[in-house]
Formats: sequence, C-alpha cells, structure tokens
Amino acid sequence: MDFTFPKEYELFRRMVREFAENEVRPLAREIDREGRVPMETIKKAAALGLMGVPFPQEYGGMGGGETGYCILMEELGRVCTSTATVIGAHTGIGAMAIYLDGTPEQKEKYLTPLARGEKIAAFALTEAGAGSDAAAIKTRAVRDGNYFILNGTKQYITNGPQADIVTVMAVTDPSLGARGGVTAFIVEKEFPGFRVGSHENKMGIRGSATSELIFEDCPVPAENVLGQFGAGFITFMKTLDIGRASLGAACLGGAQAALELAMKWAKVREQFGGPIAQKQEVHFMIADMATEIEALRSLIYRTAWLIDTGQPHIKEAAMCKVFGSEVASRCIQRALQIYGALGYSRDYPIERAFRDARIAEIFEGTNEIQRIVIASNLFRPEGVRISP
Amino acid sequence: MRIVVAVKQILNPAGVVVNLRREMIFVNREEYILGPADKCALEVALQWKEAAGAEVVAVSLGPARADDALREALAMGADAAYHLHDPAFDQADIAVAARALAAATRRLEPVDLVLVGDRSDDTGAGQVGPRLAEALGLPQVTGAYQVRPADGAAEVVRRWQGRFARVWVPLPAVVAVAAGAVKPRYPHGARIMNAYRQWQVARWSAADLGLTEEDLRPLAVYRGQAFPPAPEVGEMVRGEPAEAARELWNILKSQKLV
Amino acid sequence: MDFSYLETLLEEELGPVEEVGEGYRNVWVLAEAAEGRLAPHTLEVMGKARELADSLGVYLYAVLLGHGVSGLAQGLVAYGADKVLVVDAPALEPYQPEVFCHALATLVEEKRPEILLLSASDLGNDLAPRLAQRLRTGLLSHCLDLAVDMAERLLIGTGPAMGGRYFELYVCPEARPQIATVEPGQFRIPYEDPYRSGELEAVDLPLEGVAGRLTWEEVDAPFAPPPEPLSKARVIVAGGRGMGDAESFRLLGALAEALGGQVAGSRGAVDEGWIDEARQVGVANPPVAPRLYLACGISGSVFHCFGMQDTEFLVAINADPEAPIFKVANVGVVGDAKAIVRELLALARGEG
Repeated sequence: MDFTFPKEYELFRRMVREFAENEVRPLAREIDREGRVPMETIKKAAALGLMGVPFPQEYGGMGGGETGYCILMEELGRVCTSTATVIGAHTGIGAMAIYLDGTPEQKEKYLTPLARGEKIAAFALTEAGAGSDAAAIKTRAVRDGNYFILNGTKQYITNGPQADIVTVMAVTDPSLGARGGVTAFIVEKEFPGFRVGSHENKMGIRGSATSELIFEDCPVPAENVLGQFGAGFITFMKTLDIGRASLGAACLGGAQAALELAMKWAKVREQFGGPIAQKQEVHFMIADMATEIEALRSLIYRTAWLIDTGQPHIKEAAMCKVFGSEVASRCIQRALQIYGALGYSRDYPIERAFRDARIAEIFEGTNEIQRIVIASNLFRPEGVRISP
Repeated sequence: MRIVVAVKQILNPAGVVVNLRREMIFVNREEYILGPADKCALEVALQWKEAAGAEVVAVSLGPARADDALREALAMGADAAYHLHDPAFDQADIAVAARALAAATRRLEPVDLVLVGDRSDDTGAGQVGPRLAEALGLPQVTGAYQVRPADGAAEVVRRWQGRFARVWVPLPAVVAVAAGAVKPRYPHGARIMNAYRQWQVARWSAADLGLTEEDLRPLAVYRGQAFPPAPEVGEMVRGEPAEAARELWNILKSQKLV
Repeated sequence: MDFSYLETLLEEELGPVEEVGEGYRNVWVLAEAAEGRLAPHTLEVMGKARELADSLGVYLYAVLLGHGVSGLAQGLVAYGADKVLVVDAPALEPYQPEVFCHALATLVEEKRPEILLLSASDLGNDLAPRLAQRLRTGLLSHCLDLAVDMAERLLIGTGPAMGGRYFELYVCPEARPQIATVEPGQFRIPYEDPYRSGELEAVDLPLEGVAGRLTWEEVDAPFAPPPEPLSKARVIVAGGRGMGDAESFRLLGALAEALGGQVAGSRGAVDEGWIDEARQVGVANPPVAPRLYLACGISGSVFHCFGMQDTEFLVAINADPEAPIFKVANVGVVGDAKAIVRELLALARGEG
C-alpha cells in the first residue's frame, strides 16, 4: 500500500500553496470587509490552469482529476474560504455538470472556456421553496419550436452575479415530478430574459457573491439541454455527489488553518506563569483537532482516489462533506476558544473563519441530507429503500 | 538560440532548525526544492524566450532526487532537461560540478547563453557562474538583475560596488543572476502534470560527459561545522543614545547580523 | 659518509616523496581601489593576511591591478605588505574579468603564493572563482573567518551555510594556491604604520592578447530591484507608539534601507496613521520571520510578539525599562527610541 501522492501532485501542492500564500492570503481580509469578489485573483488562477483542475487537457483543463482538485481546494480553503468558494462553485459544480453530462459539442463550446477560466460558471438548482427538497423546484421550461422558454427564480446561487454560463435545473413536465420531469439546461448570461436579482447579505464567505437568478421568458436553444431530456435530476445529483468531496477538501484546509493558528497563539500567550501551550486543556484541544484533521484528510483523498479510478463514491463523498464541514466548525470553535477574547475581535482572522465555516454545514446539500444519503447507501444493499 | 540554465536542488531551509545552544541542526521537514536563486535564473531565461525566442534547457548535477527539480524546471517552461547523475559525483565539490556542467554545455552546443543563480541558498558559494565561464572560455557577468536580448549580445544590469551598472556582453556568455532579481513564475498546472506524465528528463553519466578521474577529484574538502554564539536573552544596553547605539552596533556586528 | 644509496633504495621502494604544496610560499592579497583610494574591505583583508603570514612565517604580498593606481602601493605597505606587485595598465580599467584573471593567474603561476586572499566584494566574487578554475585550485568563498592549521599548513576557511544560520569549514588540502574570499566587515582594519618599509615592484605584463569583452555602458544606472514581501524580509525595523511621531518613521525607513531590510509597525503605529496597515506586524497580517528584528518604541504586547515570534535575533529599544518586550528580546536598549535610531542610522551609513 502506498499512501504517498504521486510526485506531480506534490509539486502541484507546493505551487498552489505558494500561490495561496502570496496571491490569495493578502486579500482575504479585504474582500471579506468590502464584500467583493477577488476577480484579479481569479484571473491569476486562470492563467495557471487552476480554474479547470479536474478536467482533461483536451478541454482546456489541467488533467489533475479529483485528487488534484481536492489539493487545490484544501490549499485555498486553508487561506481564504471565500476564494475557495468562488472557484469551487465554478469548477466543482457549475462546469462539472457540463463535464459529466455534456455532449462533445457542448464541452467544446462551454467547458473549454470555463476550464481555462475565460468564463465563470454557476450552478442554479435551489429556489425559495426548494432547498433540501430539490424536487419541489418550480422554474418551468416550456418547449417552443427550437427553444425552451424558461420562467422562474433561482435563489442562493454562488457566482450568480459573475457567471457567464449557468447550469439551470427546470421542470419540463410537472406531471412526472423528479423522475423524468426535470431537465438541465446550459444558459448564457447574454440570453434575453435572464437577469441577476437581489444579492444576499451573508454572514460569511463575503468575498464570494450569492444572488437570485431570474428567468423571464428566457429562450434557451434546444441544443443546450444538458444530459438526457427529463433526466435532469440525475445530472444534478451526479454533479453534487462529486462536488461534495472537494467541498470537504476546502473544509480540511480551513480546519488545518485553525490548528496552525491555535498552536501559534498558544506558544506566545502566557497565563498563570507560562505559555498556554503548556496547559493540558490546550493539549487536549489541539490533539482532538489534529486527530480529526488526520481522519478527514485520509477520507478526502481516498474518496478522490475512488472518483479518479471510476469506483462508486457517493457514500464517501457525502461523508467528506458532512464530516469535513463539522470538523472544520469544531476546529474553528476550539481555536476561537484558545484565542479567547482576542479571537472575538473583528481585527483578527479567527472570527472570519468562524463566520465562513458555518455555511459548509448548510449549502451543497445540508448535512441532514448528507446523512440520509449515507444511510440510504448503507441500507440499500440490505433491501431497505429510504426516502427523505 | 539556445539558453542553458544550470539549476541546483537544495534542502528547503524552511524545514531546518538550527539550535545554537546545543550546536545542532535538526531537519524537521526533509523537503528538497529547486533553489530559489536558480529559479530566478530560469525565470530570466523564460522571459528571454518570450521576448526573443529561444530554446531553454535546464541542467542539474545531483543525486536521483534532483530529477524532481528538473521536472519543476520543465513545468515552469523549460523545453528540455538533463540530469547529470553518477555515483562518481557523490564526492563532487563545486569545481567538479563546474567541470561536469561545462562538459554538458559543450555537448549541448551551440549554446548562446548560460544562466545560473548567483549564490545558491544552501552553501551560498557563488562559484558556479565564473567557474563555468572559465571552463567554457566565455565572458561572464555576475550579480545580474536584468538580462535583456540585444542583437547577438546581452544587456545586463548588474550590482556593482553599491550601485547598479549597465554592462553589454557579446554572446555566447555566462550570466549569474542575483537572487530576488525577478519574481519566478508559478508553473502552469497542466505543465506540472505533463512534466511527470509525458516529458522525459535525459540522464548523462560521467562517462557520457567524458570526465576523467582527475576531473572528478574534489579540490575543497569539508572540515567541520561551527555555530554562531547562541544569542542570550535579556542582555541590556544602557547609556546615552550615542554610546548605547554604538554598543548595540558592536553586538550586531559580533553576531554577524549587519 | 655517503648515504645517497639509501635514498635511492627508499625511492625505489616507496616512490619519490612528493611534498604537498612544494614550492608555494607566501600570502598574497588582491588589493582593490575605488575612487582613488584603497577599499576599506581590502584593508580588512590585509590585517588578517598579516596575521596569517606571521603565523606561517612567510611574507605578505599585495597585488594591485588597475590603471593610475601606482600611488596607492605605498599605502599597502603601511597596512602590512612586505611587497606590493603593481600592474598598472590601461587594459585594467575598467574591470574586465578575463583580463584580471589572466593578469593575476600569470603572476600566481610565476611566483607561486601558497595563499591568495581577495575580498568577497562584487569584484572578488566575480574574479576569484574564475581564477580558481583557471589555476585548477579550490576556493573557500565568503569566509567569515580564516585560520591556519599549522600542522598541515592548511588555510581553514569558515563560510556561511544556509544563509549564515551556521558555518561550515573548508580546506583545500592539495591544490595550490589556496584561494579564499573574505566577507567585508568581518575583520578590523589594522593600524596604519606609515614608517613601515616594503618593496614596490612595477610589473609589466603583456595584456594585449586577452580581450576584455564586457562594455561598461553606465556605471550608475537607475534601477530598483523588485520589492520583496514583508514576510520574506531578512531584516525588519519596526516602530511603535514610542517613536512619537510620523516623522520618526522616515528615520526608521532610512535605517531599514541602510541595513538592507524593510520597515514595519505595531498596531499602535497603524492606529496613529504613521504606517500602512499592510506593514503591521501582529495577528492580522501574515507573520514575519527575519534574522534581525529591531523593535523601536514597541512595548511588546503578546499580539505583536505573535506576528514576529519566529525572529532569530530580537533587539528592543524602548524608553520604558518595564516594557514586556525586554523579557523576550535578545538585546534591550533602554532610552529614547528616536535618538538611538538616529545614532544607529549614522553608524549603519558610515559602515556601508
């Protein structure tokens, strides 16, 4: 058994680590304070092939697979959750849907510029009435000659304001429901009737933009149907399943950052006659953090390996997401406790990490849904079928 | 137009802790990297390639692990890489390395420009550039901050006696690039993948380079280590500003910090 | 009695005795001149070279290469040279690596010094390795200290390893001469003795055959190297509230420049508007890890210490003797930070 990364991944990690430290970290506080998306960083990332890490080079990607992509997300997550979110929504779900279910022509036309970072992608599934209950979406796509006319409003879409290309889920046959009645579409922002609605004023990841996307009689050419007509549910589930692993990787990075910050602080902070790094309570917290991080790390990269070798991975990817988001939250909580009052100050990075981390337990499928996915995967071979 | 860049793989100093009190060196993280000074030289070569066109060839003398440094050079944009590898090089000192690199450069002729880092970040000997130039019978410029193509020659801005001087040198020539002269580029992700999955690093042995036993004999021999005195904590300096400053200055000098 | 037959027998058995370094004697120094004067670093080397020559019981020669430099030769005698070899020729101005190498190599090959010292100046660093390659000998570069192993008659050079965090000692056991470059600022300039006597020899070297291929277009070109991030700076001069005003930060900037480092500030200085938030050392910005950190007028709160905890050598300058920073500083200076910084700046500039 060889648990080492192949050398190209070690070199890749080093490159991304340097990029993250030199180009991403200096902006992290500013973009959170100003609530702006660091498009200049995105440009730099694109120039290095970092906007299309998992995609094959023939489509403008890096050819790094899921393993490379998890490395990217881990290193970015360690430095700036907002930047990781922008790239994650673009690569991990927006462009990923086209990669998984696109025709060669669609990949040529849409995936290549996305992989090169020339255009930005978003993934539009959620609506006001359809969060965990994705089947309850109401956005309607009605056939009209060579077009489908879309009507509806999507909510909480990351990269909404920046996206050039959006993968949208719409109902094509209300009578069929989730099975056969939902179709995925590729929408370009230039299509008439498409506009960006209100922006969310978020607690965290304020360096990424989340907004409504509004479709008002928006005509989408029939050749932009993504995947099988009526099988949109499958397209989006496939996409989210894979997206979860890399989200877990970003959480791993965040947890790692919390551990590093906590240890650095414990070394200098003195109370009761010595640095708190000498106090047992701190030892226990640090040990727990490190243990969880180690477990998460193994889970993430084993899942990435499963994906890269074409093996079943749905259960493991859901575990990455639920375990990752909760480990990150716990580690940041402990780090905040170790920082004490200083951690509560807005002038220091722990409070930003605290606000940024919380969303991971909610978006891309709440942790409740993840648990149902895992349980469902476990019970299915036992002959028990679960429905939420 | 062919540019040869000599690079060296070094132990990452960030992973090394020097305990002055115990006079011991601890390698907490044994990580080998392409030396930052050599990365600058490579970056200069790549900028020249972009400005005026050239084939950039990276060459390194080192043990098996130096292959990784050459792959990184390929990922950054080098067109080819040669690994000078041979058990006979195990005892090599800087003079031997220079002879081997010179032999490799001759094998790669015609070569228009040879770039090296001015001072590596480990030993910091800074000898390779001029030694190479002498071995190849070429003109040399060291301490270079800027190297621009100029019609069969190079325009170099170099550090000189506390200032910067502009020097013109005809090609072929050897130029040693100062550390920090340029910000080396990040290697493109796809090139990183390809450097290991598709491209080759050629290997040359001492025999391939036609090196004799005399060539391989090291001239300088390691004698041992020494450590600066462990800095005490709490040494206090008092007095009028002028004398206090002077005493402080002397302390800093004795610690070799200024 | 004639025992020569014994030697013949022994030679047949053991082979001829090869005396290492046979025929190589004396310590040489390559002297550099700048702006019509002997360079201070040359005088530093002369001092150490005189010591080495005395230990070995040999002569000290100074070699002066240049054009219009003959007048400086006597000065070298005053600083310890027993003999000065002067090569004064137009071809030697300005500096040309190949011409200097040829000139010095010719002298060395003819007169065979056992030790040759140069400053680790820009010229010395450029010339010495080329010369060593030409003479097929070893070079101990950037030496911070020199000593002689009397038993083996070997020069021991102590050079920096890993950027100077520790040192490595090297010798050149067989090849001759043993060449070393000496880092400026390591040795004291010796006492100048104008009554000292020594020999001056003007050497006429044929230099026409060697072309100097560099063209010096501009000796003081306007150029600024790219700035490095604060987190990578090796020397940091930081100011806090104790500096008193914005004006003093200009002093800090000048001191930083003189020391080849960067300026930074504490949270207090940033709050006062004396320095940019990007240069704040504390918890909010990436940590710094310099070799030398001068904390001027900084009390040393734990938040500040967090940001610079990886400093190798910490100097604290503060008017308050109770300031917490004195507990962690390697050297503490109690006094008016601004005044002391001003004095330090003068010293830094004077030496530089």
